[in-house]
Amino acid sequence: MIEIKNLSFARGNNLIFQNVSFRVKPNELMVLKGTNGQGKTTLLSNIVNFLDPLAGEILYHGKSIDGHTASQYFLYIGENNFAYDNLSLNDNIKYWLAVHNVNFSQEVRDKSIKFLFSELNLNLKFYQLSYGQKKKLQLLLLMLVNKPVWILDDPFNGLDKNTVKKITTLLSKKVENNGLIIISSHQDVSIPNHKIFQLK
Amino acid sequence: MIKNFLKLIKNEFTLMLRGSVFTIVLYSLLLIAASIFSLALRHVSFDIEIAIAFLWVIIFFISLIKVEKVYATDFSEPKLQQYILSPFALEIVVFLKNIMIYFNLLFLFIIFSPIILIILGIQLSYLLPINILLALSLLSIIFISSMTASITISKNNKLSITSVLTLPLFIPILIFSMALTDVVDFQLNKMYLFFVAYFLLNLAFSPLLTSFALKKLSV
Repeated sequence: MIEIKNLSFARGNNLIFQNVSFRVKPNELMVLKGTNGQGKTTLLSNIVNFLDPLAGEILYHGKSIDGHTASQYFLYIGENNFAYDNLSLNDNIKYWLAVHNVNFSQEVRDKSIKFLFSELNLNLKFYQLSYGQKKKLQLLLLMLVNKPVWILDDPFNGLDKNTVKKITTLLSKKVENNGLIIISSHQDVSIPNHKIFQLK
Repeated sequence: MIKNFLKLIKNEFTLMLRGSVFTIVLYSLLLIAASIFSLALRHVSFDIEIAIAFLWVIIFFISLIKVEKVYATDFSEPKLQQYILSPFALEIVVFLKNIMIYFNLLFLFIIFSPIILIILGIQLSYLLPINILLALSLLSIIFISSMTASITISKNNKLSITSVLTLPLFIPILIFSMALTDVVDFQLNKMYLFFVAYFLLNLAFSPLLTSFALKKLSV
């Protein structure tokens, strides 16, 4: 369970959010809502321990989240792409799966790659891909990196209907399998029983 | 874990090869700079120390530029976030990247060095000692440059200026490099041990400080 207690964050003298409190349990999906600049991405960065809050606590199963906890249990997919432009899609897949120490069999990998990139030539350089196609590399990590908590920053942004449907299926299955998901999204999420937290 | 670590090394090697184009451009600029230097001083007779000192200063700047370039692209915020959440410590990734930059700069220097020496009017008999000297000192230069780069690429521009604080760390390398350019003593001697010792010292704290700066300043 992730528990956020009276969290506040400021950049310099600019207070981004104040006294944010909520809790998310396994088998739950929480959607953070808010207009631009209200601190959705910043709040997610606080949860993953990228940023230190001004005040308050973030607990995972009752313990404060440090770098070790975050790397062991959390998968974070941000808004911007992390791939190397000068590597092919295939090389990028190999690189980032190695970085995340993914040990699935070749068969499972190929199935996952086919599920997301069925229509694509994997030897294309990454810079040759469209925004949506690039985003799919991030989603491949969701399928193959086995961590109990997913923190996703606007995962549906720039994706076509078909891919949004695939991600929704992934999210639903993760929640069913005892996963805990926190996402920020401007779009409505069509997953049953999800919770919404509105940043003010 | 070991299997994926080996894969990571292989992938970093691939990235290093792809980044060779930029290193070739830098060495081409060195060739141009060396040509201008030699042509400008064509009527003046100068000792070999001056040519080697010139070469050393240029190599120093090439290393700084190369490390800055690699760090700016390979440790951009989204990539850094993934490295931080990876089971491999960020210090290991920093170490791997530094070593790959080292091999990249060194191998290409070995290829370019005969022509550079000819342009600068240095006898080719000094080719091997110069390459050994560079191989030893470049390690420390790159590990110190990585600390500088990790601060320079930070999102906080006000803090970027503090990267000059790391510059004094280069002074011992430059002083000893210049001392070694004394042609009379230009043999393999105990002075070379200084570079090994200084590198080991850097190896102990540089990846730690670099990754600390990356985590605190760039995410």
